[in-house]
Formats: sequence, C-alpha cells, structure tokens
Amino acid sequence: MHHNILEIKQLKTYFFTRSGVVKAVDSVNFGIRRGESLCLVGESGCGKTATALSILRLIDSPPGKIIDGEIRYHDEDLLRCSGKRLRQIRGHGIAMIFQDPQSSLNPVFTVGDQIAEQIRMHLKLKRRPTMERTLHLMEQVGIPRARERMKDYPHQFSGGMRQRIMIAAALSCGPEILIADEPTTALDTTIKEQILDIFRDLKQQREMSILFITHDLGTVAGIADRIVVMYGGRIAEVGTVYDIFDQPKHPYTHGLIDCLPDISARSDRLTSIPGMIPSLIDPPDGCIFSPRCPRSMMVCRQKRPKEVIVSKEHLVACHLYS
Amino acid sequence: MMRQTSRKVGGKRNLIFIGTLLVLGLIVLLDIYLVDRILEPMGYFYLFFVAVAVLYGVYPLHANRRLTRYYWERTKRHRLSVLGLAFIILLVAVALIGPLLTQDPTRVNFDEKNVPPVGFTIQQSVYDLDTDKFLVREIPGTYQHPLGTDDKGRDLLAMLVSGARVSLQVGLLATLIAILIGTIMGVVSAYFGGWVDQVLMRFTDIMMTFPFFILLVFIIFIFGPSLVFIILVIGLTGWTGAARLVRSEALSLRTREFVMASRSLGASDARIVFRHLIPNVLSSVIVIATLSIPGVILAEAALSFIGLGDPTVTSWGMILNAGQRSLDTAWWVAVEPGILLFLTVLAFNFLGDGIRDAFDPRSQL
Repeated sequence: MHHNILEIKQLKTYFFTRSGVVKAVDSVNFGIRRGESLCLVGESGCGKTATALSILRLIDSPPGKIIDGEIRYHDEDLLRCSGKRLRQIRGHGIAMIFQDPQSSLNPVFTVGDQIAEQIRMHLKLKRRPTMERTLHLMEQVGIPRARERMKDYPHQFSGGMRQRIMIAAALSCGPEILIADEPTTALDTTIKEQILDIFRDLKQQREMSILFITHDLGTVAGIADRIVVMYGGRIAEVGTVYDIFDQPKHPYTHGLIDCLPDISARSDRLTSIPGMIPSLIDPPDGCIFSPRCPRSMMVCRQKRPKEVIVSKEHLVACHLYS
Repeated sequence: MMRQTSRKVGGKRNLIFIGTLLVLGLIVLLDIYLVDRILEPMGYFYLFFVAVAVLYGVYPLHANRRLTRYYWERTKRHRLSVLGLAFIILLVAVALIGPLLTQDPTRVNFDEKNVPPVGFTIQQSVYDLDTDKFLVREIPGTYQHPLGTDDKGRDLLAMLVSGARVSLQVGLLATLIAILIGTIMGVVSAYFGGWVDQVLMRFTDIMMTFPFFILLVFIIFIFGPSLVFIILVIGLTGWTGAARLVRSEALSLRTREFVMASRSLGASDARIVFRHLIPNVLSSVIVIATLSIPGVILAEAALSFIGLGDPTVTSWGMILNAGQRSLDTAWWVAVEPGILLFLTVLAFNFLGDGIRDAFDPRSQL
C-alpha cells in the first residue's frame, strides 16, 4: 500500500456570494504520495485552484470558507492547526507557486532578497549561508549568471525567468510537497517545456511530491504519475496516467480526451463537449455532469454517484460502473 | 522545527526604529515626571524626525544606489522640480544656520521703525517735539537691516529667517506624523478588509468631518498656544486624505499574486503589511507627503495670521498679520513673508510633481 503524505478527506470549500453559495469544492477526497506528481485536471471554474488554496488555508475569507473536511499532513490536520503552525508548514513543508509570474514577485525587492526571505524566515540561517543557498537555488532552476542576477529586480527578468525565480523561492526550504497552480499557463510553449523539465528534475533528485494543477492535458501527459479529474467542484475520476489516457471511464474524461486535437485526423473543427459549465450555486441533483453527459440515465439525475474502484489505482464517480 | 518569532518581522530596521521610539518615550516620561527639561519639546520632534529620515530615507537611498540614481535621473528631467528642490535645500540651510547669524528677531527698537529694504526710500512724517510740527523725513534703506524693519523696529531678515524655521518645522513634522498614521491606517484597512476596514474607514470619515479648527481653538484654550500642540493637532487630524489614498492603492496591491505567494510561503500578516505592502505604496506616500507639506505650512501661517499661533515664536503668518496693519506705511512687512510663503509652497508643489512623474512608471519622460 502506498503511503500518502498528504490526505484530503471530504473537503468542502464554499464561497458565500450575493447571488448564493458557490460550492467550489464539494466533498473532495484524494491523497498525494511521496515523490509522485499528481495532476489536478479540469476546465476553468471546476474548483482546482480552490482545492489547492484550501490545502494551505489560503482561501480569502470572506467570501470563501472551508466548511468541512480534513487535510492530513503527517499527523496533523491542517484545517485545525494553529495559525503559527500553519505558517511554519507553508513554505517549509508545503510550498506553492502560482500562475502569473508577472505579479507573483514583489516589484520593489531584488529577486535574491525574495528567495532569501524564505530561507531567513524558516531556516534562520546567517547571512552568508543564506546567500550561498540562494545562489545555489538560482543555479539549480537554470538562471544564467546567477551571482549577478541576484541583485536584479523582477521587472528585469522575462516571464519564464520569473517563474524560475518563483520555483527557486518555493524550493528554498526544501518542501516535501510543491503545489503548482497552472505554473506554465502564462508562458509560451518552448519556455513551458523548460519549466516542465525543471519539475521533472526536481521530482527525481529531491523525491519531492508535486501537485500540478492544469487544464492542459498535453502538459499532464508529460509530467503526471497519477491524475485527478475534477468537474464542477467534485472528483470525476482518479487514476494513473495510463488509466486515464488509455482507459478513461468517466464520460467527462472521455470528452476531455476526445477534445485533444489529433494530428493524424484531418478535421477543420476541434471537438468540444456540448453544453455549458454548470453553475456551482445550484448544482443539479444527482451527478453534476448529467446535463451534458451523452450517456446519462434516469438515476444520474436523482442520485449523486459514489466513487467506484474499477481497478487497483483507478477510481471513478459514475453510475455507469456501479 | 523552525520557529517564527514575531520579533523578526519587518527586519532589523524596524527593530531599531521601535527601539528609538521606546527610548524617546522613556526620555519624555523622565522629563515629565522626574527630571526637569532634558530637552525642549521640539527636541523630541527633531530626534523623531531624524530617526525616521535616516532609517527610512537616507539608509534605503544609500543601500539602493542604482535605484536612487534612476529616480534622480527621472526627477531631474523636470526642470522646475530641481529648482524647487534647490529652493527647499536653501531654505533648510537658512532655517538651520540662519538664526545663529542674524540679529535677535524679537528685539524692539522704536528709533528704527519702518525702515524700508535696501534700495528703497520712503517718506515718513515725524512729529518734531522742538518745533511742534510734523516734518516729512526721507528714510533710506540701510545695510544694517537689508530687508527693512517693521513698525516696532524689529529686523525683518531675522524675523523671516526665524519664520522659515517655524514653517519648515510645522510643515515637515506635522506631515510626517500625518503620513505615518495615514499609511498604517490605509494599509492595515486594505489588507485586513472586512470589519477592520469598516471600523478604520468610518473612523477616517469622522476625522474628516471633524472640525480641526475647533479642536485647535479648544486645545489652545486649555494648554495655551504652543508650536508643539499646533504640530500635533495638524499631524493628528491631517492623515485622513493620505489614509484613503494609501488604502485604495493597497487594495489593488492586495489582490496581486505576490501577496498570496508570500502567504503561501509562510509569511505572517505583519510581515506582509510591513515588508510587502508598505514598501510598495511608499512611492505614492512620498508624493502625498511632498504635496501635503505646502498645505500644512499654509495652515500654520493662517493660524498665526489670525492670532492663534504660538506668540513666542516669530512665524511668517505672524509677520503677515503685523504687515497688513501697516500696509499703507510699510508695504514690505507684508510683502516679504508673502513672497517667501508663495515661493516655499510653489517649491514643494514643483518637487512633488517631479517626484510623482519620476515614480510613475507609466509616464514616459
């Protein structure tokens, strides 16, 4: 049995807005194992980011609130630990990087300062070792002439370089888990590959677990060990990368994979899943995908599907398999 | 495991600053309760001002020489703002050294009353005791009183130099107090949001509608007119505009990802406010400060003009007041402080405009 270093159980994160309660994360369960990269996949607004932010309790409150659930990291429940303990875990145990490298660095400090800040804050190193470590990190994420560039400000770097800096800052204290919220979405394709390479190296060298959030299945195929497919704030399917790509069970996963453009088939139009993303304010009874599902049955509109184990690593929440 | 001590928040510099404040506070307490007069009240203000200026002005400018040079290059392109800066530096020099070189601005000498400035001659009718007649006498300006004297024979140059010191004291110190309060109020309000924001901003609204003038009259009635109180009242009531501006700026900063990013890497609220938000609003704060100094200087002048100023110090407003009474016999008494006031306000405004353009990344100079 694999050991999960982070276990998310029955997580519910709601946003209380003027037009109603948005159930952004609705009873989500999954675990992250040591040294694996787990991809959280789904379209915009399906609750990927809300799930990631909930793990570190970074949901802005108000309007958001984690209603229920448990996030078990080692022997602690992150949803119930003290603010002080949480700040120690953030960055040191679990670090996070964000989508937009333009704005995730503070424009008024040099990049070296910003990497060093984490080291000083968590590891309490002296000045020299902090500098050395910062330099080493910057070299590790592939920043040329790191010693000089430490003293540069964020605006003097390109988007890809800035994302590298963010990764260096997140890695500075050697976290066990790195949460990457669409880290390549704002970058162009060649840079994206380079950044993904860094992630692959990290996983191998440091045995770090990575929770990678993306809506791009191409990226997923390149980096994931296992995949969690989310739809409408709920989990649709969990499996290894082979399970999901070769034998997708959930009709939504099917749809997603069918949407990937096929280079061998000549077609003018790209395939898409018919219908609209459901409103998370008043989700339909039963399966949330049922209004768009080509194989929906009577029961789908009445009962919420349970998660069914279809093979060793493969879980699906669909009435077709129960 | 690692421990986060709140002491470390904001770095060594804030620690030194808080230490200085504590020491100052301790001396104030000693002064009030134990020993008599270690320092004059203004002395504490000076020490406070110097502490802030060195820790948050000179030191960072020195530490980031490259950035300083960049901003200086941009400010320099505004010809008028350099002129303004030059005038302000001159004024500060005069205010610091001037009183040592000039005569006593309070010395009254009726034999030399209403002497015009050098280069001017006026006719004065003087009652002659011997002949029992009015004589018309020509009085030329003398180098003894290069800017003339007022109706009590006080040397105007000395009075104006003393007035420069008062104006700068009030302008800089009151603005410093106001800006400090305003910045912290604004950033805290924006960062925490929710009820904190509500409470702080409604308090700001109340302060905004509060008639500062009545408060001042009230305080002068209780404690007597004193420059220290005038500075305190202007400073403690004048932060509202800065608070609102800083809040709106910080609101947009708060949603930027670097705030979330540093939270996700374990930064505490205090660290985010002091290390990430305040440095980012600092450029607007400097602009607000520079542009609000002239208002404060004018406010003090207005108070002195209507006689609510500190009567023990000679300020420009006070000279203006004396001058308007003798406008028909000695026009220079009112004109000279008027021109100085005008130039000072203009200089600060020019400098403020220049700094604003230099700090605004959108303006292509």
